[in-house]
Amino acid sequence: MSHNIPTDLTYTSDHEWAKIDGDVASIGITDFAQNALGDIVFVELPQVGSTLDQGATFGVVESIKSVSDLFAPLQGEVVEVNSALEGSPEEINQKPYESWIIKVKLSNPDQAKSLLTAEQYTEIVEAQ
Amino acid sequence: MHTSLHADHLSMGAKMGGFAGWDMPLQYSGVKQEVMAVRQSVGMFDVSHMGEFWVKGPDAVKFVDYIMTNDFNSAAVGKAVYSPLCRHDGTVIDDLIAYKIAAEEVLICVNASNIEKDWNWIEAQTSGFQIDLKDHSSETSLIAVQGPKASSILGELGLSTDIPVYGAIRSDSAFGEVILARTGYTGEDGFEVFSTHDQAQRLWRALAQHEVTACGLAARDVLRLEACYPLYGHELSDEWTPLDAGLKWTVKLDKADFISKAALKDYKPKLKLIKVLLDRGIPRDGYAVKNTKGDIIGKVTSGTMSVVVGKGVALALVDADKAPKIGESLDITIRNQDYPATVIKESFLKGGKL
Repeated sequence: MSHNIPTDLTYTSDHEWAKIDGDVASIGITDFAQNALGDIVFVELPQVGSTLDQGATFGVVESIKSVSDLFAPLQGEVVEVNSALEGSPEEINQKPYESWIIKVKLSNPDQAKSLLTAEQYTEIVEAQ
Repeated sequence: MHTSLHADHLSMGAKMGGFAGWDMPLQYSGVKQEVMAVRQSVGMFDVSHMGEFWVKGPDAVKFVDYIMTNDFNSAAVGKAVYSPLCRHDGTVIDDLIAYKIAAEEVLICVNASNIEKDWNWIEAQTSGFQIDLKDHSSETSLIAVQGPKASSILGELGLSTDIPVYGAIRSDSAFGEVILARTGYTGEDGFEVFSTHDQAQRLWRALAQHEVTACGLAARDVLRLEACYPLYGHELSDEWTPLDAGLKWTVKLDKADFISKAALKDYKPKLKLIKVLLDRGIPRDGYAVKNTKGDIIGKVTSGTMSVVVGKGVALALVDADKAPKIGESLDITIRNQDYPATVIKESFLKGGKL
């Protein structure tokens, strides 16, 4: 089975992706995650300005039958949230890699090295 | 455990998951799509994990009437009756449907998670009755075919669907003899087919060829919740009586003696089941329910995003003496934040009206 895992992104084992541009990271959930969740019907976003530790819960995505926490892949301050997703959460199902959920200004850009490459993340997905 | 259709679920690409010891299909194409198929067309469910007991003999009807709170005695042959199954103190062991297949033959269908508990209880009540009680759960498959087109599809497959709602007959079909009942758990017209495993496999595959949408347990739960049907372990439990869960209509205190009659005769319910609709947010089992003063008055027993309403909906059990009236506002606490909700009268299926 082939998986949709773009090589220009980095990943976590919790199925988040991060796209790093300078000291700002856009964060979303992977195609594998949206598929496992099914129809996403609710997204809870953090406040702009809140600070997140690496691994901290920053929000929630809910499908009809399940609730899943979102974990911050990297430490930093939330500088932008994708409010459009509150009105159309199904976009995460339709376009998981265009549907960034938050943007974080990294307080420790070196942490990016701890994230998984597309190749490493593919191994995790294939093991499931 | 596996049902007779397990291999079919796997080959059809279902997402599987554990339920009451069974590896069951939770979802096929997607919960939304499956729910809409049942609401607008027709869907099929493998519910073979459920339990089937047969009661036969001259006292079969009398016995089933004695163990259930609803009136089975008055039901005509060929009819089914929904009822709680209670202990002497009125607490609920399970809820079930009893099918009066013949004057001396009753089929009882019980929840998968309660088969052993129910069997032990029912078997212990049989003394003095001329009956033969048998557990046929392991050799019986059960397929539910639900939705406005269920009748025509089953008709095309050679089943005689000309039976009333809650009718139940022994039907000689193209698949051999089955028990066909016009019952279900979705709020739509539909049928349940009790059969052998071999018959079930042939029926399931024939239904799939007729483009009946295969549905999983997730869609089943949304469908029953939209119709405001209780689920054992959520709205009903070992701790409370049917009168605490809005099931007064199933407790017939004017019928002949039955188990729990003495306890329920003068029982004043401590809880009340309410239906609530949220503007925003999705309520889930266990979330706190608060009145507008901020006091916790109960908790959500089942909650979901409703596919038909497009909003969060819930059933909740609240303190009877603090129960809000229809149209009143309350709050549901979701992840430490209070979300406004309204108490409604009609089921969510009817749009959740006041």
